[in-house]
Amino acid sequence: MSGHRVRAITKRLLEGFRRDRRTLALLFVAPIVILGLLGYLLRGSSSVPDVGVANQDTGPAGGLVAAALKQSTHIKTIDIDAAQGDSKLRDGSLVAYIVFPRDFSEKAAAGTVSPELHLEGSQPGEDTPVIQALQQALTLLTAQVTGRSISFQPRVSHLYGGANYDTLDYFGAAFVGLVVFFLVFVITIVSFLNERSQGTLERLMASPLRRGEIVLGYMLGFTVLALVQAAEVLVFALAVLKIQNHGNVLLIFGMEALMAIAAVNLGIFLSMFARSEFQAVQFIPLVVVPQMLLSGIIFPVSSEPTALQYLSNVLPLTYAVNGMRDIMVKGADLTWSSLQLDAAVVLGFGIVLIAAGTATLRRRLG
Amino acid sequence: MHDSYAVNVDDVSKSFGAFKALNGVTLRVGRGEIYGLLGPNGAGKTTLIRLICGLLEAHPGTVTVLGQRMPNVAVLRHIGYMTQQAALYPGLSVEENVSFFASINGAESGVKEALELVQLYDRRNSVVATLSGGMRQRCSLACALVHKPELLLLDEPTVGIDPQLRVQFWEYFRRMAAGGTTLIVSSHVMDEADRCQRLGLIQYGRLLAEGTPADIRTQGGSQNLEEAFLALAGRRES
Repeated sequence: MSGHRVRAITKRLLEGFRRDRRTLALLFVAPIVILGLLGYLLRGSSSVPDVGVANQDTGPAGGLVAAALKQSTHIKTIDIDAAQGDSKLRDGSLVAYIVFPRDFSEKAAAGTVSPELHLEGSQPGEDTPVIQALQQALTLLTAQVTGRSISFQPRVSHLYGGANYDTLDYFGAAFVGLVVFFLVFVITIVSFLNERSQGTLERLMASPLRRGEIVLGYMLGFTVLALVQAAEVLVFALAVLKIQNHGNVLLIFGMEALMAIAAVNLGIFLSMFARSEFQAVQFIPLVVVPQMLLSGIIFPVSSEPTALQYLSNVLPLTYAVNGMRDIMVKGADLTWSSLQLDAAVVLGFGIVLIAAGTATLRRRLG
Repeated sequence: MHDSYAVNVDDVSKSFGAFKALNGVTLRVGRGEIYGLLGPNGAGKTTLIRLICGLLEAHPGTVTVLGQRMPNVAVLRHIGYMTQQAALYPGLSVEENVSFFASINGAESGVKEALELVQLYDRRNSVVATLSGGMRQRCSLACALVHKPELLLLDEPTVGIDPQLRVQFWEYFRRMAAGGTTLIVSSHVMDEADRCQRLGLIQYGRLLAEGTPADIRTQGGSQNLEEAFLALAGRRES
């Protein structure tokens, strides 16, 4: 082993990077962006969920717990009428509501407290602070009623999901679409770069082909592959993993197809800004990771710090994830305005990228 | 207006940032002519070819091809372009590559004839990635001429090719020119120059001299084309 020869290799490598400013920038900027985002997401002053409280108790205990809930830092309470609760869960203005029944004080005196806890249920991450706040408030009640042991028997109901709804069901609905989105994106960006580096793109540009024809041809070719992949993923998710689905399978497939088309066009568009496969590969974490963190897959968008919520709301993947969950968890169909919005945003994103990819094609040839 | 020239390059310059790749080049190529663009590496030959097929735009100056001002997508149907690097799809077979370029030019019927011309018909099912360099060059040529273009642009078509195949290539070129096709062939190999009807000598982005091989010999004052070229290049520099 010769130290001299090893040094020659090390030196050659670093010299190459010195001239590839883009790679250097990505190498040093990407981790700060990704970790900074994660830090802000987890430590930033996250916004608290809105929880409805309906106090029907004829005695004092309900009021006592309701007042304690109002002081909670985990949730923000809003007084509601119990009859409106379900519709408020459905339109997304509340993540949960708590009802203290008429006999709440009576039963508390007898040693049992059983408030009704109605959860929206489609995002388990949103339920945790509600349950925490309720537990703390009830502990406070115990302190006031001394000398007796009180047992908590909250009656929990879920609008969506339910007791059998587990983590896989929650993540699965989003991942069915995401797996397709990210894999198709990676394949497209690399193969469009191949076209450039093997010189065939120059040949195509010197042929009667128009730019739009190249982009559309690419899009259709990859979309065919992506649709087969989407179908495979869907069958595996539903038949083998048995992920809960309350929606129409064709609708899920349609949403996956829209995501695939958006991914193909994102790949073509971004390939215009990479000069080598090496640079293209570096777009992957920069495009993929922030979207994973911010599109509501892991952390509900509603619990993010407000500034990040704005960012989440302009990411097309946020709408895609929301749409997939609406279909699979809530059984949404195309009459739901939220699903219409989600599908329109993902479709619109795809169309904007087709135009952008076409416009940048000739300019980037040289 | 009928243009008797296949290619008319008029006072064309092209810069990339501070680098001036072409500087006031004027040249005309007649229909059915074999025109040789000669010059050392980096002289501006590829830039000129890219301007002629509209991949780049001249500034200032004009390029007219088959009577149309370039860039013009409609004219591209009548142009064949063989890039310096054998630009092919390595995962496809020879025939699939040629068929692809045929179909984007609307000339599916010409595939067999093009494959026979470059003597690859027997190897039509071979995957390009498995071919030798010379076979790839032949396949690349077939892709450039499959639609029977009126103008064929060949950017250093014989680089990396053995002498036998080079003779074959020039045989194809002569047959095509005899059939009315205009050919512009770039090369930095002087012994190819004699096979052209007219030559343009390019260096540092300028056209140093133009004429038949005999004219160039007279202008350079030497019977050897290479010496004539060096004499002309030296005269311009001093």
